[in-house]
Amino acid sequence: MQKLRILFYVYTLLVSLVAASSAWGASAIGEQKLKIVASNYPLAYFAERLAGPRATVTLPAPASVDPAYWQPDAKAVGAMQKADLILLNGADYEKWLAHVALPRLKLIDTSATFRDRYIRIENAVVHSHGPAGQHSHEGIAFTTWIDFDQAAQQAAAVANALIAKRPELKALTLDALQMLQQDLAELDEEIRRITAAKPSLPLMASHPVYQYLARRYSLNLKSVHWEPGEMPPAQEWAELDKTLAGHPAKVMLWESEPDTQVVEKLKAKGIASKVFDPCANRPDTGDFLTVMQQNIKNLKLVFHP
Amino acid sequence: MRHDFYLAWRYLRHHRTRTLILILCLSLIASLPLCLHRVLDAGEYWMTKRAEATPLLIGARGSAVDLTLGALYFAEGEVPAISMREADRVAATGWADPLPVYARFRVRGLPLVGVTLDYFDFRKLNPAQGELPALLGDCVLGADAAERLSLGPGDTLASASGNAFDLAGTYPLKLHVTGVLAKSHAPDDQAVFVDLQTAWVIDGLGHGHAEAQAAASAPDAPFGPATVRRADAGLLTYTEITPENLSSFHFHGDPATYPISAIIALPHDVRSATLLRGRYLDDSAGTAIVRPLEVTRGLLQNIFRVGALFDGILVLVGGAALVLFSLVFALSLRLRQREIETIYLLGCARLTVARLLLAEILLIVLLSGAVCAAVLYASRPFASELARFFILS
Repeated sequence: MQKLRILFYVYTLLVSLVAASSAWGASAIGEQKLKIVASNYPLAYFAERLAGPRATVTLPAPASVDPAYWQPDAKAVGAMQKADLILLNGADYEKWLAHVALPRLKLIDTSATFRDRYIRIENAVVHSHGPAGQHSHEGIAFTTWIDFDQAAQQAAAVANALIAKRPELKALTLDALQMLQQDLAELDEEIRRITAAKPSLPLMASHPVYQYLARRYSLNLKSVHWEPGEMPPAQEWAELDKTLAGHPAKVMLWESEPDTQVVEKLKAKGIASKVFDPCANRPDTGDFLTVMQQNIKNLKLVFHP
Repeated sequence: MRHDFYLAWRYLRHHRTRTLILILCLSLIASLPLCLHRVLDAGEYWMTKRAEATPLLIGARGSAVDLTLGALYFAEGEVPAISMREADRVAATGWADPLPVYARFRVRGLPLVGVTLDYFDFRKLNPAQGELPALLGDCVLGADAAERLSLGPGDTLASASGNAFDLAGTYPLKLHVTGVLAKSHAPDDQAVFVDLQTAWVIDGLGHGHAEAQAAASAPDAPFGPATVRRADAGLLTYTEITPENLSSFHFHGDPATYPISAIIALPHDVRSATLLRGRYLDDSAGTAIVRPLEVTRGLLQNIFRVGALFDGILVLVGGAALVLFSLVFALSLRLRQREIETIYLLGCARLTVARLLLAEILLIVLLSGAVCAAVLYASRPFASELARFFILS
């Protein structure tokens, strides 16, 4: 009986030790999580899909701000400096990059592989919306990820950076990349199939952010500089009429749901409003994939009403 | 024996001027070579340690010594600049990580060094106070630099103007001190660090525009044309970068053409280092790669040769001084002949007289040794400074 009791105590002690060491091991693994900062939501989504629970992915731009026009303060820069990887969209997306001090070896330009295919925007206009103040779209078009082939290349750049940082996770990362690229390829194929039906269909865009979408899927697209929540001035409506004279579009694409007054006024001109959200910031519901699937559904209504 | 030393001590005290001169002469002769070796040892340790930690250095073809001294020890003297494209080239090979260094400027006599944040990770430099630079116009001070300038986080420091008589030249930039680095016992302690982009602003490659002027020139805002706004915006030579004007700062031209002094290349392995060195074998190229340890060793060998020459001279001077010391002692014995006779007549043995003289010599040597040790101890904190001054200045 005495021996059994001793054996029980020894067993309890061993179990406690094993449990404690497991907990310590788990916390050690937790500490080893990669810290990733992404400059926009598509990159954050790619990193989350590729790294899974092995990384903490942060999108420092506030939810109410377009990350393309966000300016980090010293505190945000300090937080970025502590990251293991800083994922950049490239294509002149991070205009704040020239104003901050960041470790260059941790910066990953995800669009570097197709740098030679950037679209340059000439004769852009200055306009303002929201708290970000005035801005212009002159320079390089930066909404690179809505060309899903380019998005796949950006995802591959994220995967390569992860593998370089954690070679031991190569197999897991490559598997995740394959799945992500498969999803992106499906989106790409779907849009190709939809747009192929009416290749020369004239379309209007409310904002000049669809350049890569138009190029990849051969859209006959012209842009104005309107914001979803603002009624454009009379001068802009006059400009639209002039454009429509030579470009008889029946649909205008918006980044988000436009103001009902604008929708009604457009409808009076025979133009329907459809949303194609570039999803630059984290959506309130769903994720990058669901937002893009919804975009495709909206686009389908344009080409197959 | 104790009495011998007592009598010798009383005698030396009585003739204190002569004793002091002898002690000073002997201690000087002994401490000079020892101090010189201490400075050389400090210099060797200080330079070798730094060079060992820096695997490869890329810079303009020319003097490897100037390149190494400029990029590693921030020595004065302008090293020809290379372009940032070279750093991109190194990164593109995938064999090494490049750390660009731009050490062209000085601020209040201290080196103002433009680096990327990776440099602090590489040299294991952490702020003891405050933070590392975060925004354009921020700087972080080395420990000694902060002490010398009496500055800390929150203070400001103006960079030196490129040319006071050049009206179109660069204006001084008011730098914001964000932190002070912990002491590293390396040249980083004496430097003021800024981000590479801030160094380029100081160099006149980046500037800001007056926002008020820009807003006035956009009457149809928010839909005014960008070209009008840009053409009318007055160029403002800002002397301070603030959160309000930060966003107006920009750079012109291709950043790949911007200047840097050198690149510290961190190869991933021995094979990568060899492959990278192979890229710079072309003598007609404008850039060269050096191994700082080899350059430093070559430099130190020259310094040690000079040190050996000093040793030889000091041995001769020391020998002459000892002869003079013996002569002074012999002459003093002659002067003390009557005194020695008296001691003998008092009944002391000849040996006692010899013991008294020996005690005197021993006391003088001991006191000289003590002075020599004190000088060596006092010079210890300055050895690195002196090495830096004599080797790098």
